[in-house]
Amino acid sequence: MVVTILLKGSLAKFFNGEKEKTVDLPDGCSCEEALLACGIDWKQEKNFGFVAINSKRVMICDILRDGDELKAYPKISGG
Amino acid sequence: MQGYQNSVLRVDLSSKEYTSEPLQMEWARKYIGSKGLAIKYLYEELAPKTDPFSAENKLVLMTGPLTGTVVPCSGKLAIASKSPATGTISDASIGGHSAVRLKYAGYDAAIFEGKLPAPGYVVIRNDKVEFKDAAHLWGKGAHETEGLLSAEYGHGAGILCIGPAGENLVGMACINSDYYRQAGRGGLGAVMGSKNVKAIVVIGDGGVKIPNIEKATRRFIEIMKEDCLQEDNTFVYDCGTTAFLEACNDGGILPYKNFSDATDENWVKYNGDVLLASKAGKRGCASCALGCGNFLKIGDATVEGPEYESISAFGPNAGVSDPEAIAKANEIADDMGLDTISAGDVISWAMEMTEKGVHDFGIKFGDAAKYQEYLKLMAKREGVGADLALGVKGASEKYGGEGFALHVKGLEYPQYEPRGSWGMSLAYAVSDRGACHMRAYAPNEEVFAASIPPYTPEGKGQMVYGLAVHNAIKFSLCVCDFWATLEKGMMAELVSLVTGEEWTEEDMNAVGERVINIARAFNQREGFSRKDDTIPGRLVAEALKSGPAAGQKIPQEAFEDMLDQYYGILGWDENGMVPGSIIDTL
Amino acid sequence: MKRLKFSKEACIGCQLCAQACSAMHEGEYSLSKARIGISSYYDKGKELKYLDAYCTLCGICAKNCPEGAIEFGDSLALDSGKCTGCGTCGPACPRSVIKYFNEKPLLCDTCGGAPVCVEICPHGALKYE
Repeated sequence: MVVTILLKGSLAKFFNGEKEKTVDLPDGCSCEEALLACGIDWKQEKNFGFVAINSKRVMICDILRDGDELKAYPKISGG
Repeated sequence: MQGYQNSVLRVDLSSKEYTSEPLQMEWARKYIGSKGLAIKYLYEELAPKTDPFSAENKLVLMTGPLTGTVVPCSGKLAIASKSPATGTISDASIGGHSAVRLKYAGYDAAIFEGKLPAPGYVVIRNDKVEFKDAAHLWGKGAHETEGLLSAEYGHGAGILCIGPAGENLVGMACINSDYYRQAGRGGLGAVMGSKNVKAIVVIGDGGVKIPNIEKATRRFIEIMKEDCLQEDNTFVYDCGTTAFLEACNDGGILPYKNFSDATDENWVKYNGDVLLASKAGKRGCASCALGCGNFLKIGDATVEGPEYESISAFGPNAGVSDPEAIAKANEIADDMGLDTISAGDVISWAMEMTEKGVHDFGIKFGDAAKYQEYLKLMAKREGVGADLALGVKGASEKYGGEGFALHVKGLEYPQYEPRGSWGMSLAYAVSDRGACHMRAYAPNEEVFAASIPPYTPEGKGQMVYGLAVHNAIKFSLCVCDFWATLEKGMMAELVSLVTGEEWTEEDMNAVGERVINIARAFNQREGFSRKDDTIPGRLVAEALKSGPAAGQKIPQEAFEDMLDQYYGILGWDENGMVPGSIIDTL
Repeated sequence: MKRLKFSKEACIGCQLCAQACSAMHEGEYSLSKARIGISSYYDKGKELKYLDAYCTLCGICAKNCPEGAIEFGDSLALDSGKCTGCGTCGPACPRSVIKYFNEKPLLCDTCGGAPVCVEICPHGALKYE
């Protein structure tokens, strides 16, 4: 399946500054697995925030579908 | 300890006299400075049940040992008093350049007591203080006031001033500096207005000495480059707090139409990309490494901002998605000297009251032109503004609609929806100054983090405690919130380098908890207890309709559970009271 | 010859430059004892403006000193023995950089070739090239 991954804020470093990439992933891939396929292990990233599928926050283990947009955010502080 | 001037300026406005006295250094050892030390002074010096608008209330301007050094992001000023909006202790943190001016004038703090016999302004020029007539300034907006004073005293002077809202004792009145920075919440501008003080001008030609200053400076530069200037902090330089919009919308915590829902599909119309296309410059505060201020000229608005809170309050929460209108409302609120969060919430509440037919305030969701007018009416207490100036608590007590009047203790709700982040309802409830997002910033753990479930009370007491301690320390040094990656170990190193004494992370934790306790003890003495740590009816009775938190509401039992957890961790009793054994240590 | 260069677009008005300068030269963080004076302000809240008093090594102070007390090479140096505190150099400086302390001028010495103001400037508004 084809998924678009957007990396927000400091996470964009994993795409060398490119904010967005379209990737081919096996069906039934979770957000965690999709990020791992791009070289991002969220557990190793101190400031990893959250993920959203189609602009709606989900859990890291939630499953992606073909055509989905996955956003990964860093933590952000302030107000 | 070094880093302090060891001098507090005490100004008696009633007699127009001033003295300076040594800093209570024993208190500084326990509270460090800024927030914590300001609250300690007020705890010791204010009698319980003092009327916030009386001459007996005090306005405390407090710096910290880091102020005036090159520790990055150390240039903020704590201003504290007893709040006329809530009756609690209330401290705010204002940016700009006044903190450093006050420190360089030779003071750790300036405490204003009494009341001027007629409207005036105070000029602190190093060791001299002058009391000047403000008849020519009274009634003017904060922007015109600052313009006139900086023409007279120069751009190097720090200027703190109030707009009409403060003059008219509106409980949402703020204190302004550098035109677009505020000590926003709790009505500190009204306290200043009640003392007939239109402005405080500070000129400081001195400096701050610390041990091994050259070596320490090199270390501060190293820390700035390695820690402060990383993208997790510098995003505020790039896009200010507009960055929160998308995260809050995706996270399902963006207030919509007076907190009736928590997403807005129109967010792209007023997001950072749109607003920042009109960026005309960048600015930060004294000693800042980040520079969060975005100076915008958009439509007929000129404003440094708008920040996330203001965007949400004048945007989705008011049913508006016009970026020019949002920026203009921000500019007007700044000039009137009104807190954008509280003013925005009152207007949104009034919109719902009108639409539901509970009381006709003559404004509905989406009416941006009218809300700009209403901000001016509120500041002047004219027409419908006279009722809205009461705040959501006062106005709902008068007209009904209390179930959807979102506040705690009379301080209106910041722009994070707790039904999408349950711990935030606890953070708002137990915050020292009423509903405040800066005491414990729960979304950082529950929403902007992939691991802690947001829709449960479990573990929230510990989470809010940890966040509250962290910020209590940070704002007592003080360092700006936007240096987000600053950890407690490094806070200890900074304080050690500046004071020349060794502070550990354990010391920091002890200070943080002590600050929380003394603020609570102050409020307790005023009669506050568990009954005042509340959750608005809407959050318990109504479920969110959209976003990841659709269907969520917070059961009262879950809220009470979170309160119990928090009290337990701090050693307070089931009524949220600090025991005498802890008060004795404060 | 290297000189200080300033680009206001990158300046956030933090004044860390002046604070670091006075720390390294006078042993305290201060604006009044700095050999640089850069800041920004909102003119009546409507326009963002900059004050950029930094030494460009134009040498006008040295030329105007009646005692020849200012040496001018790759950087400025004050011969305190020759300086009489006459106060001529300050008003002569076209960028209004020179402040006085104890009647002697505070001259930018580029920190011996590694200016601390450049090092501390968080957004690279100051360069030395």
